[in-house]
Amino acid sequence: MAQHTLEVLVENSPGVLARVAGLFSRRAYNIERLTVGPTANPEVSQMDIVVSVEGHALEQVIAQLDKLINVISIKEIKPAEAPEVHDTQPDYQN
Amino acid sequence: MSQVTGAQSLVNSLEAAGVDVMFGIPGGAILPAYDPIFDSKIRHILVRHEQGAGHAATGYAQVTGRVGVCIATSGPGATNLVTPLADAAMDSVPMVAITGQVPSLAIGTDAFQEADIRGITMPFAKHNYLVTDPADIPRAIAEAFHIASTGRPGPVLVDIAKDALQKMTDFKYPTSVNLKGYQPKVEPNAQAIADAAALITQSSKPVFYVGGGVIKANAHRELLEIANLLGAPVVTTLMARGAFPDSHPLHLGMPGMHGTVAAVTALQKSDLLITLGARFDDRVTGKLSTFAVNAKVIHCDIDPAEMNKNRFADVAVIGDVKHTLQALIPALKAALAKNKPDLTEWLRQMNSLKSAYPLGYDKPSDGSLSPQYVIERLGKISGPDTIFTSGVGQHQMWAAQFISYENPRTWLNSGGLGTMGYAVPAAMGAKVGAPDTTVWAIDGDGCFQMTNQELVTCALNNIPVKIAIINNESLGMVRQWQTLFYEGRYSNTSLESKRVPNFPMLAEAMGCVGLSCERPEDVDATIEKAMSINDQPVVVDFRVHRDAMVWPMVAAGTSNDDIMIARETAPDWDSQEL
Repeated sequence: MAQHTLEVLVENSPGVLARVAGLFSRRAYNIERLTVGPTANPEVSQMDIVVSVEGHALEQVIAQLDKLINVISIKEIKPAEAPEVHDTQPDYQN
Repeated sequence: MSQVTGAQSLVNSLEAAGVDVMFGIPGGAILPAYDPIFDSKIRHILVRHEQGAGHAATGYAQVTGRVGVCIATSGPGATNLVTPLADAAMDSVPMVAITGQVPSLAIGTDAFQEADIRGITMPFAKHNYLVTDPADIPRAIAEAFHIASTGRPGPVLVDIAKDALQKMTDFKYPTSVNLKGYQPKVEPNAQAIADAAALITQSSKPVFYVGGGVIKANAHRELLEIANLLGAPVVTTLMARGAFPDSHPLHLGMPGMHGTVAAVTALQKSDLLITLGARFDDRVTGKLSTFAVNAKVIHCDIDPAEMNKNRFADVAVIGDVKHTLQALIPALKAALAKNKPDLTEWLRQMNSLKSAYPLGYDKPSDGSLSPQYVIERLGKISGPDTIFTSGVGQHQMWAAQFISYENPRTWLNSGGLGTMGYAVPAAMGAKVGAPDTTVWAIDGDGCFQMTNQELVTCALNNIPVKIAIINNESLGMVRQWQTLFYEGRYSNTSLESKRVPNFPMLAEAMGCVGLSCERPEDVDATIEKAMSINDQPVVVDFRVHRDAMVWPMVAAGTSNDDIMIARETAPDWDSQEL
């Protein structure tokens, strides 16, 4: 399965890591790697998540992540390319 | 600004959010909140079990379209709300649950009545909060109501530490809510609307596949308009019964595992599913790989994550389905003016199926009572303004099949989670939300024994609901599966509820009127008697025969093409030109 890297900005609130990790667990998505770090804004943290999924499944992962209230934005980082931006309420399906 | 307790701030916040009723039970950690509740204009209904509070909040919300509110203490009080919260999540019901939590310094110490209810509800609540600072209470409540009631509705839990309720704080209710990570898309994309209209004009076998979202969005009038405009058949899922009048000639009934032959076949043979606020649930699609294989899909839903989840959407229209239809109707009118597909043959085929395979049942030869007959008469005698709730199982399917629903918000059930015991507390909440409307709970003898304690609440609080127990002395649906798939080995499905309990006596003991009926010729008079009592809850024990089965049926995991109209009996496809 292809690996995809997601750069996820989240509100720096208690429980947010559990929300994200729990989502991956209950929807049976595979996390290859997950790191959490601060951003310049103390109210916002950044999670870098590497997932192994194919095709439409990646779209589902992003859409489900987006439903978490504490998730502000999601970018897919493509290797050697500019990041593809998924804003928080995507209309990328349209 | 004068200081108030966190508890007073909570009650002020609930009042500011427009709450007029809540269902709950006090206990240690939430006790500070119950002191200002004593003086509040909010009606608090003291239930007998927190699960009852949760489903009552759901019933209230489904009938009124407003946010249902329940309140409980920490630990077991909170964990008893887990089932209703999960239920509300699966059926997208707007609900706010308030729970007390142990004092903030005790959190994590395994304190008395401590349970991590935020953690427990994280997987299914739309969102949840743990509040430990009293200054955060108004914002948490305002956000909870905003999140619960907007976008795809759902349950939000606000867990508040006891010391946050006790400490002094300033009360200031926020005038607006701004959540960076939550901006539901209400207006549909214009290009998507144009694509949808174009696809519809290219279809010769379109079907409106209507889900509960149409009711949630109050889009039933727009649905009626667009269905009449296109003249295409309509199917309403279990969650959408009432979204489109059953009496309308374009209505083919309910699709799915126990759907009508016409509704199931319409989806299967369609070339275009116009999907409105529905989610391609497995109980509708059957085996997904064989579902509507020749159909393109227009998927209109407010939840972007429903797009392409179970079924690829050729056109995805993300937005509130009312706004979507308001945009689609003029676009479709313009498109149809240029190119109106001829649906005559398609409608003829579907109407032929509808008349060849109506819903029906065999009357038992021994003269005993048919459950379907009881439910059919309840619908006829009580009329289309009545609100019906149900539990889960055979009686639920018969209530979905044999009652004609003409209006939205008149059919309440636990569709997604399938929560046995939903009927009585949901009826209580529905009656509180619509006190001038007759509310019938159609319940099973198994379901009734899970939550009937709330009839005490109803009797004491002037909530005169009516309960029809469809007593087949069995866990009927499980027994049906044992009949069909386990060689009639009835392991643990006989409840013996014609012997024990005595339901009318149990009802009387709880302050209700108890009636009983076991002969077909007594059904109408019994229903009329129950209808004439409006100052007390009424419970009728309809003692029906136990071997009735729900048909049609698409067995779990099989294809909708293999729908059976009776045991080992498929529709006569050869006689149908499809």
